[in-house]
Amino acid sequence: MKRRGRGIACMWYPIGFTVAANPSAATVKVNEDGTATVLTGTVETGQGALTVLSQIAAEELGIAMDDIHIVSGDTDVAPMDTGAIASRTTYVTGNAIRLAAEKAKLILFDVAAPVLGVKPSQLEARDRKIQVKNYPQRCLGIGEVAHRAQVVMGEPAIGSASWNPPTVAMDPETGQGKPFSTYVYATQVAEVDVDDETGEVEVLRIVAAHDCGTAINPMLVEGQIEGGISMGIGFALQEEMLFDKDGRHVNPNLTNYIMPTSLDMPEIEVDIVPSFDPTGPFGAKGVGEPTAVPTAAAILNAVHDAVGVRITSLPATAEKVLAAIKAKREGATKKLTAV
Amino acid sequence: MPDTFETKKQEKTVVTDVPREAGVDLRLPAVVPAVPYPIETLVPQVNQQTPAVGQRVTRPDGRMHGLGQTKYIDDMSFPGMLHAKIKRAGIASARIVRIDTSAAEAMPGVMAVVTGRDIPVNSFGPSYQDQPVLADERVFHAGDGVAAVAALTEQIALDALEKVKVEYEPLPAVFDPVEALQESSHKVHGTDTNVYAKKTIRKGDVERGFAQADHVFENRFSTQMVEHVSLEPHAAIADWDANGRVTIWCTIGRITLARGDMARTLKHPMSRIRMVGTVVGGNFGGKNEITQEPVLALLSKKTGRPVKGVYSRGEEFTSTTTRHPIIMDYKTGVTKDGKIIARKVRLVLDGGAYCSWSETTLGKAAILSAGPYNIENLDVEAYVVYTNKTMTGAMRGFGAPQVCFAYESHMDDIAKALGIDPLEIRLRNAFGEGSASPTGQVLHSVVVKESLLKAAERFGWKEGRS
Amino acid sequence: MTDVVLRVNGRERKASVPPETTLLQLLREHLGLTGSKLGCDVGDCGACTVIVDGKAVNSCLMLAGQVDGREVLTIEGLATRDRLHPIQRAFEERASLQCGFCGPGSIMSAKALLDENLDPTPQEIRDALAGNLCRCTGYTKMIEAIQDAARELRTEKSARTAP
Repeated sequence: MKRRGRGIACMWYPIGFTVAANPSAATVKVNEDGTATVLTGTVETGQGALTVLSQIAAEELGIAMDDIHIVSGDTDVAPMDTGAIASRTTYVTGNAIRLAAEKAKLILFDVAAPVLGVKPSQLEARDRKIQVKNYPQRCLGIGEVAHRAQVVMGEPAIGSASWNPPTVAMDPETGQGKPFSTYVYATQVAEVDVDDETGEVEVLRIVAAHDCGTAINPMLVEGQIEGGISMGIGFALQEEMLFDKDGRHVNPNLTNYIMPTSLDMPEIEVDIVPSFDPTGPFGAKGVGEPTAVPTAAAILNAVHDAVGVRITSLPATAEKVLAAIKAKREGATKKLTAV
Repeated sequence: MPDTFETKKQEKTVVTDVPREAGVDLRLPAVVPAVPYPIETLVPQVNQQTPAVGQRVTRPDGRMHGLGQTKYIDDMSFPGMLHAKIKRAGIASARIVRIDTSAAEAMPGVMAVVTGRDIPVNSFGPSYQDQPVLADERVFHAGDGVAAVAALTEQIALDALEKVKVEYEPLPAVFDPVEALQESSHKVHGTDTNVYAKKTIRKGDVERGFAQADHVFENRFSTQMVEHVSLEPHAAIADWDANGRVTIWCTIGRITLARGDMARTLKHPMSRIRMVGTVVGGNFGGKNEITQEPVLALLSKKTGRPVKGVYSRGEEFTSTTTRHPIIMDYKTGVTKDGKIIARKVRLVLDGGAYCSWSETTLGKAAILSAGPYNIENLDVEAYVVYTNKTMTGAMRGFGAPQVCFAYESHMDDIAKALGIDPLEIRLRNAFGEGSASPTGQVLHSVVVKESLLKAAERFGWKEGRS
Repeated sequence: MTDVVLRVNGRERKASVPPETTLLQLLREHLGLTGSKLGCDVGDCGACTVIVDGKAVNSCLMLAGQVDGREVLTIEGLATRDRLHPIQRAFEERASLQCGFCGPGSIMSAKALLDENLDPTPQEIRDALAGNLCRCTGYTKMIEAIQDAARELRTEKSARTAP
């Protein structure tokens, strides 16, 4: 019969490389109409990075995401970037873009200040305007200022910046040090049915609460979490590359290497845990990798809760779970241990 | 080979049978009907709002995806473009005695063949440069490439691979990471030991912690090798022009460093290398390094034509990086109210044939292995070893999903033995703002307890079973 | 050589191709329609899904010769100059695609479903997508988008049939 169980797992995960330098650089150019072009060396690998980076640039310049065009992924034009790895894009590339946009913005402030009769430090960029702080009616359109910078002042609003997360090397004996600038945290709770006659595990529901600092785009954060969970389900229950005794792959195809389909996905409920990291762009950290981290643990804890067996080697295939259930029934004390 | 031969071949079988629209004068050039889609200037309102941060804006590239208009590498082609295929060793450990490419080179439609010996600097890797672009003297795992062919069509290239004759002298091999740790084991790279990186984290006095503990729990966990399965296979096009400038369109997610690898392996100045990362059809860590790009560049240099290479699904499994299998031994001492006071962790990572991103994975696995918990006495030792299997590298989580499976399974076993609710025992041990990490780092913006409570509340954990 | 005459996205197309040519190759290499993707070439991943005479098929498993005289709809045939297809719009609004490589195939499977059933249950949507592997999204936002699109198509249909 089917037995229901629930399991919880939490995790922590760092953003960026372990100690090693992983800088990003960026250039932001404000066009004469107040829209802007961003140059970055990162590459869109599907996560929506370019959209999020556009939002960061837009926020700093006080314009909308739609006002940004982002040029990426070409070593001829883009500044250096460590790339789409280690959940670092929003945090590291995002910081570089924010700083580059800030530099461009300060040029705009320098140009606007004498016109508005204030000091540059009294200005802010909001709602496509350069305005005096606390006196939003004293303002100039950002396009007007950008045009003036370019054409009248001969000082185009272009900013370039680089950012590298600060770290401290780890002691080789004790590991003590500061290997990462920041970390994110998350919890997932899984509900499963385990068929105690076949060993089959069905994941019914996963509740995920993830910290990513400020969610620059909550919709894309949700997408990352849902996708990470599907990868976690495959890791927990299905996927395994198998080798023969001579070290050759026996399942190098998607017929025999089983990964989650739409039929394997549970109901997913996502919460973004409120948090703000002062070291990230507008408080953001990252979310890409951690979404796949706690899923397997939560599922295997739910299996344990359902049928009382502890699976210690992944993937928890039906065969493995059934063998563990049988062993338990037979009163055997030995556990199914690692290979 | 003579140029005339190639022209003849092209006339015979290659795309001379261009489709023509019904009723169109055949003397007109074949014109593909325009693809209908709206030239859309209408942008969702949310994308136009300020402030931009926090908005659920849509992705401009998302529209292109939905229309089928995104150009991935395999959707691009250039006039005269050739197709490359790589011959895989199919043997896990061997010395290459000789490679005879003459029969392949003589095939009609084959334009060039390269082997490992043609590669100026035949090694690369993000931490250690221990991976050949194409195996030259030794084969270290069955997915190693040994020769590459550029031909007029993919099929001719595949047929030519059959005619590349490689003579191997089989060598001993090791596939099990624990066995690879032993002194008597076969040494994959001929060094003294298969262990190529080690990480240690020590804090407090773990033995004293165990002595003070009310209970001590031990268990061993292990995980499997997993492939990224990006839906888009690795692909690249190389075009070496008459000025010696090479452009590579590729599926690599980190082009700046890839350009460095290209410059190194090809002994070519960076100013003459242009890497273009197009939209990548899934990465997850699997597309963070060069693979076939130097080979395609050399084939293009040899032939004076653009050369495209697309991995088969099989090569995606056998010849690209994967997730590390890890064997994880945990020993944890707790007080009777469930407070963890000592933890010892031993990790053995199966690194496969090459280092790739193993060093980074090892570091993250070791640091994270204690879990997000305050533990005063900690002793972690982690090793990564070579085996004659597909190399393991970066994959979403860098060792974290593996150790999380171990430390969180272990946590539930402890909770059950002590009769404490799994949520409660985590809350008792979890980091808070200002907690010190296993490496002594003071943590900020820590919300692990908040995430536990939020997930538990949404799930209805405290309400009990449904 | 095999001569093929077929209708693709509503227009008659002719081609003369080697007999081993698959429908996917015909579309991508001969007709310039690269929206359908090659992910595995053996019918496992569904990235090459197109609709042949109303049924979703893996075009990598079908020979070009088999579509002679038949009607093929590809991802390029969904939108018009005036508007995106409701499924495409819903996928965009929900950010249902991430890397996008599986997108054309998934959308064609969804289209085949909604052509037959304008009010599918979530389970029916899951069944329809079962042959389309996606590694990025966990399918969740696709299922939601297909529900949105079904709702819009139902509204359109009732507007058309209203007196």
